[in-house]
Amino acid sequence: MGALQAVWSRRLLRGRQGVTDRPDVIWFRFTMEVKMGDKTTGLIPGQIDRRNFLRAGSAAMLGAAFLPGLMSSTAQAAFAGKLSMLGWDFQPDTIKSLISGWTAKGNPAVDVAIIPNLGYSAAIQTRLRGGDKLDLYYNFAYNSQKFVDQGWASKLNGLPDVDKLLGDMFESARARHVNAAGDIISVPYFSAVHMLHYNAKMLQDAGITTVPSTLKEIYDASKKLQAGGLASPYLAYWVKEFCEEYLHTYLLNEGITAFDESGAAVFADDPKTEGVFAWWQQMYQEGLAPKSALTDDPGKESTLMAQGQAAFFVLHHYFLTSIRSIGGPQSANVKSAPIGGSNFTLQIGEVLQMGNISDADEKNAAWDLMKYYGWKDTDGKFTVFNQWAKAAGLAAPYPGFFTDPDVIKAFPDYYDLPQISKIFATGSKVVPARTLPWYPDFQAKVGDIIHALLLGQATPKKTVDDLTAAAKDAASNKTTL
Amino acid sequence: MAATADLTATLPRADRSFGFRLALPAILILVVLLAIPAILTVIYSMHNVPPSGVSFGAFVGFDNYTLIFSSPVFWRSVSTTAIFAAGFVVFSTLIGLMMALLLNQPFIGRGIARAMLIIPWATPWLVIGILWKWFADGSVGGLNAVLTQLHVIGEYHEFLSDPKLALPLTILATVWRQASFAGILLLAGLQTLPEELSEAAQLDGASVWDRFVHITLPWLRPMLITVIVLNVIYAFLQFDVVFAMTQGGPGDATQVLSILIYRQLFAATHVGVGSALAVVLGVVSLLGGLLVVKLLYRPDVPAT
Repeated sequence: MGALQAVWSRRLLRGRQGVTDRPDVIWFRFTMEVKMGDKTTGLIPGQIDRRNFLRAGSAAMLGAAFLPGLMSSTAQAAFAGKLSMLGWDFQPDTIKSLISGWTAKGNPAVDVAIIPNLGYSAAIQTRLRGGDKLDLYYNFAYNSQKFVDQGWASKLNGLPDVDKLLGDMFESARARHVNAAGDIISVPYFSAVHMLHYNAKMLQDAGITTVPSTLKEIYDASKKLQAGGLASPYLAYWVKEFCEEYLHTYLLNEGITAFDESGAAVFADDPKTEGVFAWWQQMYQEGLAPKSALTDDPGKESTLMAQGQAAFFVLHHYFLTSIRSIGGPQSANVKSAPIGGSNFTLQIGEVLQMGNISDADEKNAAWDLMKYYGWKDTDGKFTVFNQWAKAAGLAAPYPGFFTDPDVIKAFPDYYDLPQISKIFATGSKVVPARTLPWYPDFQAKVGDIIHALLLGQATPKKTVDDLTAAAKDAASNKTTL
Repeated sequence: MAATADLTATLPRADRSFGFRLALPAILILVVLLAIPAILTVIYSMHNVPPSGVSFGAFVGFDNYTLIFSSPVFWRSVSTTAIFAAGFVVFSTLIGLMMALLLNQPFIGRGIARAMLIIPWATPWLVIGILWKWFADGSVGGLNAVLTQLHVIGEYHEFLSDPKLALPLTILATVWRQASFAGILLLAGLQTLPEELSEAAQLDGASVWDRFVHITLPWLRPMLITVIVLNVIYAFLQFDVVFAMTQGGPGDATQVLSILIYRQLFAATHVGVGSALAVVLGVVSLLGGLLVVKLLYRPDVPAT
């Protein structure tokens, strides 16, 4: 008897004429070929002999064993085409490996395109405007509502398990993904909180016994370190595109609400606001932050920390991985601490959005991928976030993430996960106004205004006025250069 | 012109249209790739175009132009663009001319030097920007190392974070490439200069400077006009190097008009306003080129 080889083939027939008008009804047709050596025989009813009966019976038993797995993966893979996904260039190999892992489980193939993070907004808007079809894509949270309004992204309400996904999230994080009208506009790609990365040894050598937490404490500590010979102790990513994040971080650190529940800019009403900008300007003008803070990228700043050329670096918590993994002479001395004292820090998160998909099967497949990428896999594990934790220390806005044993193992031991979880839960804010449809116009202006402040071209008072005007103009859809 | 008109009038009709038919494919390509987008840009500039681009949006007439011309941000950008363009045109032309004069002299290794002239020209603008960004870096850049070794500066400097130095650095980066282009064209022009003219002038007692001013420069005039006109257009349209090096910063120190257009069109998706800016820049570039031709071009006067 030659080798028994069962070949299963599946065909999906949609809307087969005369059978169904519903495109979502899936008809299965199995054909089975049994090879005996070089002879291929088909089953011919009425001509069954003992040999063929035994062969058929064996094949049927094999089919029964495989059928449940086949059915489930077939149900998942109802969409027979290829999904398209766009992301930016943070760990592109990890992205591709995660996606191919998903496809390998019987899911549709995904065509993944990666483009640079710098200029990503401009690039994706140009592509979508030009008619490019994307099933899902990374996006900045502040662009997410605009993309829904322009018809570039779909709302996710009513999709299977979407309410469970939201229920699993920190309450503080939900406002990033659900707008005031209750529309679910995105799922998480990753989340982070702004923290202070500091060189513990430098602080100890300088006689600084407490890790600074408030803006004043940071200023005083930086001055002391500068007097001790460290030229520019404080690093931050103050390129134009990122000034807006620091705006909220520093305002929240001082307990200032930037936008009220209706989205109106109210930071001008708080007398402490001008002091925040005075601090910011002082840090730059007095050289406590290097002049290159306006143009340096985080990679370079991580290197400066690792080399011991700075003592403080305020940015997302996961940059501790960058600094430590560089392995510079001071890398091992760098730790993280919360900022804001008894107030808050900024919780950021970039998002995944679903494109405008009309085909139901394609939409379901895209949603399956979104759940896998932005929540859990079908086994209930944080597979994707586990990988991001391992690769780069990224977090997810789910309490269960921080207590998951696999995730705890994935994070390097220099992370204080309970502390980060606590910051997510009660020590950080999302600033819901950041997802309002007019917010991107405001975001684009913040960099210009802050750079003018830092370069001494504007006073803190003028900065408050200019930011207020920019927010009002954006909210009233008034176009300005 | 009159002679040409007379000549074509005597040709059979089929022959007259033959030239047009030959040029038709190129005309079609130009229409599709240049004329249609240009016309669309003008139309967009008069509408409040939604970011999605599904329609032209509401017609607003010249409101977008009014917004632009009343904005101090626009006028600062115009000023930055004018300074950039002036530096770009002057230095790339002068340095190109110097390189052409040098490479026209016989010396050992001239062939290799001429071949190396092509290298900057062959490098894409964006790569130039990235290279110079690293070259000018305040921590690890070669420029700081060179200037420190030459005792021009005492310590490393963040050129691209200094509003006073960021624009000159971007000009330097762009001139580095454009000068090689100017040098190639001018060298080609120099090689057609008859040696006898120079020799005769030398015999008559003309100095090096006299020969340069009265023989070389007039001979190179047509080529110089071409170089300058192209430099003017490139100067106004320059985007890649500035974007790669500074993204228009620090502050708005290097925010030339092309960067402003990018921000309005692609970042903020204010398509109407961005299109209006693009129309303004196109007109300015065209006028700049025409002005150069008007100032420098003199038709050959036949001898009487």
